[in-house]
Amino acid sequence: MLGQYLPLLALLLLAAAFAAGSFIASGLLAPRNPSLAKRAAYECGIVPSRETPERFPVRFFLVAMIFIVFDIEIIFFYPYAVAFGGLGVFGLVLIMVFTFAVFESFVYLIGNGALEWGPLKQVARPSGAVSPDRTVETTIRRVGLEDRGIPADDGQAA
Amino acid sequence: MPEFLTDWGLLVITFVPLAGALLMMLIPQENEEAHKQVSLLASLLALALGIWYLIDFNYSDAGSLQYVVDESWIEVINSRLIMGLDGMSLPLLMLSVFVMPLVFIYSWDHIPHPGNAKSFLILMLILETGMIGTFLAQDLILFFVFFEVVLLPMFFMIAVWGGEDRRYASLKFFLYTLFGSALMLLGFLALFFLSKDPTTGELLRTFDMRVLSDVAGAGIVRSSQLLIFGGMFLGFGVKVPLFPFHTWLPDAHTQAPTQGSVILAAVLLKLGTYGFIRIAIPMLPEAAEAWAPWIGLFAVIGIIYGALGCLAQTDMKRLIAFSSVAHMGFVMLGIATLTDFGINAAIFGMVAHGLITGMLFFIAGSVKERYHTLEIKRLGGMLLQAPKLGWILGFCVMASLGLPGLAGFWGEFPAILAAYQPANGIPEETFRGYMVIAAVGTVLAAGYLLWLLQRTAMGEAPEEFANDPEIVDVKRIEWIAWAPFLFLIVLFGVAPGLIFEITDPAVVESLDNCLQLEGGCEGVAAAAQATFGG
Amino acid sequence: MLAQLDATPVETPEIVWAGLLPLLILSAGALLLVMLRSVVKRLPADVEPHLITAIGPITVLGMWFAAGLAGTDVPLAGLRDDMGEPAFYIGLALVMVLAGTLVRTMEIGLDAAITVGLGLSAFAATWGIWDDRWQVTGPFNAIGDQFAVDGFALLFAGVLAASVVLVALLLDGYLRRESLDGPEMYVLMLLSAAGGIVMTGANDLIVIFLGIETLSIAVYVMAAMHNRRTESQEAGLKYFVLGAFASAFLLYGIAFTYGATGSTNLVDIQIFLSSGQLVDNGLLMAAFGLLLVGFGFKIAAAPFHAWTPDVYQGAPTPVVAFMASAVKAAGFAALLRVFMLGFFSHVDDWRPAIGALAVLTLIVGSVMAIVQSDVKRMLAYSSISHAGFILVGVHAASLAGINSVAFYAVAYTFLVIGSFGVLTVVSGVGDRATSLDDLNGMAKRRPVLAFMFTVFLLAQAGVPLTAGFVAKFEVINAAVDSEFYWLAIVAMLTAVVSAFLYLRIVLSMYLGTADGDAADLGDPIPKAAGLAIGIAFAVTVGFGILPGPLSDLASDALPALIGAG
Repeated sequence: MLGQYLPLLALLLLAAAFAAGSFIASGLLAPRNPSLAKRAAYECGIVPSRETPERFPVRFFLVAMIFIVFDIEIIFFYPYAVAFGGLGVFGLVLIMVFTFAVFESFVYLIGNGALEWGPLKQVARPSGAVSPDRTVETTIRRVGLEDRGIPADDGQAA
Repeated sequence: MPEFLTDWGLLVITFVPLAGALLMMLIPQENEEAHKQVSLLASLLALALGIWYLIDFNYSDAGSLQYVVDESWIEVINSRLIMGLDGMSLPLLMLSVFVMPLVFIYSWDHIPHPGNAKSFLILMLILETGMIGTFLAQDLILFFVFFEVVLLPMFFMIAVWGGEDRRYASLKFFLYTLFGSALMLLGFLALFFLSKDPTTGELLRTFDMRVLSDVAGAGIVRSSQLLIFGGMFLGFGVKVPLFPFHTWLPDAHTQAPTQGSVILAAVLLKLGTYGFIRIAIPMLPEAAEAWAPWIGLFAVIGIIYGALGCLAQTDMKRLIAFSSVAHMGFVMLGIATLTDFGINAAIFGMVAHGLITGMLFFIAGSVKERYHTLEIKRLGGMLLQAPKLGWILGFCVMASLGLPGLAGFWGEFPAILAAYQPANGIPEETFRGYMVIAAVGTVLAAGYLLWLLQRTAMGEAPEEFANDPEIVDVKRIEWIAWAPFLFLIVLFGVAPGLIFEITDPAVVESLDNCLQLEGGCEGVAAAAQATFGG
Repeated sequence: MLAQLDATPVETPEIVWAGLLPLLILSAGALLLVMLRSVVKRLPADVEPHLITAIGPITVLGMWFAAGLAGTDVPLAGLRDDMGEPAFYIGLALVMVLAGTLVRTMEIGLDAAITVGLGLSAFAATWGIWDDRWQVTGPFNAIGDQFAVDGFALLFAGVLAASVVLVALLLDGYLRRESLDGPEMYVLMLLSAAGGIVMTGANDLIVIFLGIETLSIAVYVMAAMHNRRTESQEAGLKYFVLGAFASAFLLYGIAFTYGATGSTNLVDIQIFLSSGQLVDNGLLMAAFGLLLVGFGFKIAAAPFHAWTPDVYQGAPTPVVAFMASAVKAAGFAALLRVFMLGFFSHVDDWRPAIGALAVLTLIVGSVMAIVQSDVKRMLAYSSISHAGFILVGVHAASLAGINSVAFYAVAYTFLVIGSFGVLTVVSGVGDRATSLDDLNGMAKRRPVLAFMFTVFLLAQAGVPLTAGFVAKFEVINAAVDSEFYWLAIVAMLTAVVSAFLYLRIVLSMYLGTADGDAADLGDPIPKAAGLAIGIAFAVTVGFGILPGPLSDLASDALPALIGAG
């Protein structure tokens, strides 16, 4: 009964052997002449000027997570698409409710700027601990600038 | 008006103090005079109602429950709001409503550190409601609720207004009593589920104490009866306090404020013994018979241990606390005999102890106030410096050791006498042995009490207090608070029949016939088992 | 190509929408709330207070409509007939005005107001179904044979809705204090409660799993949501990892049950098992064990309780109130449903296991609580011991047992929300002042709050004249009735042990002296939180003195199995 899986086993072994063989062959036969340009990380032809940072902007991670959620939604659409004739109105309403449920999460994402791709914006959350009347102008008085010829610029809180 | 009092009066007398407490919650804290007045008024109202009951009570029918209130309360578990007054609860009810106004009068000038008269007086009013409710309740769950309700105010009184070690003492008091009550509640539940109607054999499923007393445990297997009685024994025994569950008492009494000690000694200890004579013995006479020798044993150990403990004490309040253990030992000995003579003696002993030890704690409080110490070796010469106080102390000491002519005698002597002839089914020799030990205990009681009197009241005044202006004699407030106590101690000493006549019919009623018959309850129950199959 | 489409109509389940109304209100309300608040971030300052005030009368109307839609008749029709039509509607308008005034005095935020409105409407819908449908025609199935509406499910749906309302009131002030404003917490709580309602009404093990996951995942996120406290994130992560593990066990148990009985529908399981067709019950025993592990984690039964102290300590305090009340209640409802309805014929197989769990839970909960120094951890262990008590009721496996579990769930919900509500208010910004020493002298700073907290703690200890005593009494009643005396004795003794821990807190409040730098500055407490604590207090004391109405309600709340329809 298990004999029908024998070709599968053979394929598995062959694939493993091929992969292993490639590595071993390249390790034994390839010449070894490392240079700086060859060892550097690939950056579309640019010579890398610094070490690749370990951390990356979390936007990429967010996009990946959001993608998964909506991908699963699409996966749920496939069986419905196949069977929608038989499910009739009931099924239509059901899938609309499901779509709405996922759509509102999309609205939430857009509303809270999860998919913003511009430069990083500081969201200044008013904490209530500091009065909004206190700005840089009201709390800081620049002294000694008048006889130096430097105009007092209106600094904007970054 | 009489109809109202006969129909609903028991509810009124129970909840009048609570109503006073609720009224006091509305008055701001600063207005101390108003608080004292309202609380005194509430307790005086309860006293007035109590006196009315005393007058209106049908003494020829003291054995049956009067002024019964029977309303539905928690349908699901068949627990009703049943209250009633009979000869057993009347003296104790009067003790409660009598002591409380006097305590409130005493509190007029004596709110202990750290003050806050409002909370202190409210707690005492809640205590009063709980005490009255316990003595009047005729439903097991209602009894349990009131029994527990008295724990909280006393816990807070000790914890906030007590001495240095108050945290430990209050916790010990609360947890110890709660532990006993937990097992007692299980006993109640078991009674609920296992009681059977003796004629039809069907399950009763009731918490009504009257019904359960009538049924008297018929149909419950002996081993279950013993276990249920054991649970109740623990619950009530902790409260009494019965040796070896007495260890909470010295700490609680010593650390409590004066008013707390007085209420604890005068009334709260009686809740335990009352539970025995109202619930445990009438409802499970067969188990009571089996447990009686043990109860007697613990009682006499308590008498001797309490007395020896007293002899070793250096603190006056702690000495009086241990003397409570000894006195309650006498009460429990009377109860353990399971005869009407013994239980009558026990009830008298309860009332007498309440009055006498309450007075002793009042005196201790006054001594503390004047001398700022209760260490016996530092005290002395009270008869020289404050002679009236010394004489009152002497009077109470004589009453406490059982001098004939004062109330204490009728609490101790009949109990010892009752031990000579315990109920059928209880080993006579054992109890006669207990009788001898208890008699020795009276000698020891005389010993420690007279020694206390000698050391504190007699002799020269010690140097540090010799010229202390604070050592004044009895003040007016104290006279007003104490005079009724002293009067009653003498009255009951010379006319004990006043109490015995009230309690005897009720006690006889509560004791099941089987205790009088040959072979005791065990024999009767065995016959009954054979008849209707158990 | 069109001919290839399979056009044979598929059989769709019959849906009774009225029975789903509480669930729909909560979930649809949650989704609409999040959508609305994503689009409209901040209302203009002059519009916002009026809008919030308007939510009061809108809630009353919403309750009216919800009860009407859920029931079969206009709500309070009897009252309307008694009072006469114009008087009744004028009275209704008065109530609406009162509601508006109440909301205005509460100074509540928009999200919280909407959440409270949704919770109250769901509660009204539950009431409508209870009065008009369930009591008249009996239990029925709402979605085919997957979701049942019976007294038990309705009672727990009501409990969950009440819990949402009270916790939302607590959250309002808390989130503003912690600067965590936003609808997320409320939305998650509503969705979690919706999942809970699914759990308590489910007729099928897969639906129960669905409900558990919805309930849990929302709560995992809620526990981690305080992004400035590392304990919060630790709590969320711990809860999530261990919870996922437990869900895996649960699913494995469901799979084994399917293997043993051939179905995951509770009705079919019960029919199969009582017909005695099961010859070798090894698979079923394994299923019981795994299901108990899964449920045991949710209800924090020992030995699956290890997450509880850390999560309760780390999570934001109102979230802990929700977890301790709603999540636990829903978990117990599902446990009771599955075992009492589905597996009742094998009661002698699973009863000893639950008995062992109960004893272990009681002992662990009371003993471990004594050595704690942080009040939130103490309350966490105390909620473990409460779970043990409820397990004693489950163990009784009788009518009295089910009644006691239902009563305990209701009483305990209000108790624990009250307790954690008080903690929320006094623990300072960032929940930093939750140790026992921080409560020192609270009775002087906040006498009323200290008194209420004392009552809550004593109710948890089981002191008479509180709902906690009646709840414990009913559970012990059920145990003694089924003649399991040893379990009753253990339960009562551990109750005494745990009384010590509550008394410690009370003593600390009344006897301790506060340090100079107490975190609680004595600021006035948020009115909404005060309202929530006040309601909890009134329920605790009210049902303690007169437990009749709640006892009757609990004895009506019986789970029932309806056949496939």
